[in-house]
Formats: sequence, structure tokens, C-alpha cells
Amino acid sequence: MKVEQLSLDIFHTLITGSGLRVKAGPFNLSIQTCLPSLIDQLYRMYSHYSLVDETEIAEFHVRIIPKHSIRRPLAQFIQFQIDGRSPFPPVPAKQALATLEWGINLAIAMRINHLLLFHSAAVERNGHVLLLPAWPGSGKTTLCTALIHRGYRLFSDEFGLMDPQSGEFFPLPRLMPLKNQSIGVIRDYLPEAVLGPEIPGTLKGTVAHVRPPQESIERADETAKPRWIVFPKWSAGAALRLESLPQSEAFLLLATNAFNYEVLGETAFDAVTSLVRNCECRKLVYSDFDSALAALDELTDG
Amino acid sequence: MAKVDTRPDHHRLLLETIVQPASLTGYDNRQWELLLRLARRAQLSGYLAAKLEKDGLLDSIPARASNLLRSSLIQARKQQQSVSWELNRVMWALDGQEIPVIVLKGMAYLLQDLPNAPGRMFADLDLLVSKENLGQIESSLLKKGWQHHALTDYDERYYREWSHEIPALVHPERSVEVDVHHTLSSPLGKLKIDPLPFREAAVKVKDAGIYVLSPEDMVLHCAVNLFQNNELADDLRHLLDFHEMMLFFSSQQPFFQQKLIERANQLGLGNPLFYSLYFSRLLLRSAIPDDLEKQLDRQPGWLARRVMHHCVPLALLPQHPDHPSRMAGYARMWLYWRSHWLRMPLYRLVPHLAYKFYLSVFPARAETSK
Repeated sequence: MKVEQLSLDIFHTLITGSGLRVKAGPFNLSIQTCLPSLIDQLYRMYSHYSLVDETEIAEFHVRIIPKHSIRRPLAQFIQFQIDGRSPFPPVPAKQALATLEWGINLAIAMRINHLLLFHSAAVERNGHVLLLPAWPGSGKTTLCTALIHRGYRLFSDEFGLMDPQSGEFFPLPRLMPLKNQSIGVIRDYLPEAVLGPEIPGTLKGTVAHVRPPQESIERADETAKPRWIVFPKWSAGAALRLESLPQSEAFLLLATNAFNYEVLGETAFDAVTSLVRNCECRKLVYSDFDSALAALDELTDG
Repeated sequence: MAKVDTRPDHHRLLLETIVQPASLTGYDNRQWELLLRLARRAQLSGYLAAKLEKDGLLDSIPARASNLLRSSLIQARKQQQSVSWELNRVMWALDGQEIPVIVLKGMAYLLQDLPNAPGRMFADLDLLVSKENLGQIESSLLKKGWQHHALTDYDERYYREWSHEIPALVHPERSVEVDVHHTLSSPLGKLKIDPLPFREAAVKVKDAGIYVLSPEDMVLHCAVNLFQNNELADDLRHLLDFHEMMLFFSSQQPFFQQKLIERANQLGLGNPLFYSLYFSRLLLRSAIPDDLEKQLDRQPGWLARRVMHHCVPLALLPQHPDHPSRMAGYARMWLYWRSHWLRMPLYRLVPHLAYKFYLSVFPARAETSK
């Protein structure tokens, strides 16, 4: 059963009660809040997610609670909680959705070590994963948004989840936060993309989330092996370049950016080594989506 | 007649799991979900994972539980590796200075392969040295690149004058805190502990001048930390350290328990040992003779015992993550006051807590006063 099959009333009862339990890739989340604006936003943005039975284990229990500030008694604040604890200070209530999404990502990054967690977008085409790792100025979320509306299946815009033993990657389709100028760029280029509200004033500026496509969520149990690693860089007015990247450089960029490379130690070293050996590694410089998509289509056609 | 266990269900679940790890292969998913959350709160998920791995049970439990427990175990192992390396670096920085360094707590358990060490989470390296060597160690470490966290004047003074350790040292390339102690409890506290007998009885572990406390002293130090230095909230893991060490050393040395009582009497540490034995038996069903603590010279009075009997389990055991009990909140608040009361005289305590409260309302003031 999916969230969209629930009436808003029942959705409301679940999320304000013991928690809305949904499946996000390999993890189950329990989300609880009484904040009316957030409930409405989640009802729309989470519509494609499957509900999780009470009898299945949920890994992450998060909550957004209203918070009163002694110093600013009239302003509305909220706070993120995980397992009843608050790891961050309160933020204005308008930022609830961004804080919830960010908090869940942080919890995954802090707690999960049975998988190697790359800081990377990941999409699938022709049965194989294309990794788009984060590096400064990469705009991975923006490029990833364009790709998944042009025939690629979303794995994640934030995490490359790799089983270090089998080398398989796991999809983790979640809301994708576009930042600042990217919001307008995506609205213009992809009018069909479903975007959440624009949230101004966050740590990363104005944020608006893209809802993952239905198919990506429905096929979230289909893992795949990676075949291409492309380090993207957006550069205004630049001519398109898709150049090969030495494996040693790809190794360093991937390893230094992974969330838990050091924690996994030797296991991670072996996993990244076999990953770069089995993938085509490229560097992509682009200024417009059309040519970047054409180049990536050509790369992933074979 | 058998006593009825009136503990809340979530406490029973966690304790049953610790005492009887094999029982959790029979848990349903709901019990698992709650247990995983409680174990994380109590910082015991690495410990549980290590126990299950040792018994070959990690693959006989639900996959989601096993993945989370494995994740914690991997993290705990990394922490242990980091702290071991930090000890290696500290010994390198002190090379040739002939300063005897006694390793305390988590790292000491690890150095000796105690049964509570596998999967144990700890992020700090705790060391005990003589007060005379304190300055030399601090300057050696500072010279080799360790740094103090930026501290407010107040905190700096708190450490230097009222505490049993100097402000933590951290090497900027690594994130392990090195806590250098010159005694085992606050010098202002009501319980005066002379560190000299602890240092004299210390046992050499390796050639490089590393020592650990003797078995009796290690158990006593654990008891002192629990019932003298700490606030007891979510501290079950330290009671578990105590329980595991009691069991282990008792099985290794025939008269260990007797020696422990004698040592506690000699050092005037009857009170904390009394409580540790009492609660370890009450909560973890430690196989300790019922009358062992009766041989202690110093024991808490009956009123203190009654109050502690009700309050300590509520503090040591984790709150239910979704339904925190108000009673447990009060118990924890009372024990928080108690721990401060034991550590400082009233004329220091009241201004100290007032200052802490002020900072909790105006956190920015701490930064501006730097």
C-alpha cells in the first residue's frame, strides 16, 4: 500500500500518532509530527512511497516537534528529533521539511557502516549504475534531477550505497534538495518535475525539493552494479568536455569524499579499488543540459 | 514467594538481552525494533553485536537488526583502533622521558582483553599520571602538536582548580580526546581519594612504560566513576563493565572478591563499591554472594539505600525513546544534583550550576566571554 492510497485523514492520524512508517530503499523510516504545514507537504511529496507494516523493523525514528524559544517567544520554531534526542538546535518552522530530510540523511551517514556510503549521486541506465560523485561545484543534484527526467532511474542524489562484498549498489530514492539558482534552472528545463515549496533562509540558502519519480521508488529493491563514474562540473559558458580520468585520481576523489571510508578501513580500500578498476572513469565539464545529457547518453548506450 | 518484576517492559527487554543474549533469537520484530533503539541509547549496540558474533548468532537474527548491529560493531572497532593509535602517539611524544603512564577505562580494558572490551564504544584516551609529571606531559604533548579545545576562562579555571584532570588535549589531525588525570575524583569532593596507592599497585602491560591499574583497583575505579563522579543517566554500560570485570577476575583469582573488599576498606571506598555490588546484582544478576558488601567498613545508611534503590535503575536504564517517564526524569535530576553535591562544596556548587543554567538560556555568552 502506498501513501497516495491513504486519505489525508488517515495519513494525518498515522503521522500525528505512532508515526508514519515508509520504506526508503533498504531502510524503513518512522516519521512523526504534529506540524500541519509539514503534514500537508509530506502527503504530497511522499505520495509514491510504500507503507511499512507495524511488524517490520524500522531503522530510523524521527520526529519534528514545535519548540518555544525563551528569547523569541512569538516566533515559531521546530526541532528535529531522532529516537527522542535532538542533535541540532531549533530552526524556524518554515524549514521543517528541509530539516527533516537533512536529519534523515545525517542519521544514515552516522549510523550505517555495513554498506560503504559514497557522497555521490547515482542513477541507472541499461542495467548499470552511473555514479556522479560530489566534488566542489559539481551540482550533482541538479544534473541528477535532469537525468532522472530523461530516462535514467534514480538511485540517490546524495548516497552511493555499496555492498563492499558483492559490489552491488542499493537505490535510496529520497527527496532531492535543489539549491538557489538550480531551482529556477530546473523549473525552466523540466516543467514536469514535481517540486516542493521554496524554503528560504536555510544553511544552504533557498531550498526546494524534487519528488522522486514513481518508477524509481517502485523499483527501489532492484540493485545494480556500477559501470561508469563521472565527476561533473558545471561551468558557465564552458564548452562540453567528457575526458577520461586516471583511476588513481578517481580513487582518491571517491575515498576522500565517502562518509565512512575511514570507519570501514581495509574493507573500504578493497571495495573502492575494485570499483574504479571495473568502471569507466570520466570528468565532465558542461554548461547546458542538452549537450551534457547527449554525452552521458552516448557513454551509457553501450 | 518470588518477587514480581515491576520494571517497565522496555527495561526488562534490555536487561534480559544483556543477561541472556541467546534469548534474542526468539524476539519478534517489534521487540527487535525497540531493543535496537534502547541499545543505541545505552551505547551497548557494539557490545551486543560482539556477543552475538562470538556466539555465531549474527546471522540467525532479522537482517535489518543484524545490519544495524554490524554497523555499530564496525564503528566500535574503528574507535578502538583510533584510541589505540592515539596511545601509540602519546607514548611516542613522551619517549625517553621515563614518565610512568597509567591507562584507564576503555583503553585499559582493551589492552587487557577483558570480556567487556569487544564492541565497547569509547572515544577518549584516559591517562593517570602523578601531579608532579602533569606539567611535563602537558608541555610535551603541546610541543608535539596536541592542542586544547578553545575554553572559556570559566571552564579553564574549573579544570585547573577544581577538577581531577586537565582540559582535554586533541591532536588536530585526529579526533581522539586525551584526558590526563592526576587523581581519580574531584579534589574538592567529599570523598578524598589518594592516587598514590593506585599508582603504586599499577601493573605493567608492555615494555614501553604503559601501566594499567591492578585488577582490584580497576574494579574500584569503575565503581568510583559510577557512584562518585558520574551522573548515572544512561550509564548502564559502566555497570556492565563492573559486572563483567567482577565475573572475570573472580574466575581468574580464587580470592579476588576478598581482596577487593580489603582494598576498598583500606582506601575508604566502601560506599561506591557497596552500590556497585548491590545494583550489579539487582539489575544484571551478577553471581556475587549476598553478604559480600556487609564486610565493607563504610556503607550508605538505610535512607540513602532506599532512595538509591528506587532512583538508580530509573537513571541507569535508558528512557523509552517515545514515552519518557516523568518519574525517571525526576530520578535523573536528583542524581545529577547528588553527583555535583558529592564533587563540590555548596558554596562552589550553587554558583557553578547557576552559571551552567545561564549558559543554557544564553549559549552565545559562552563564546563572547572567550
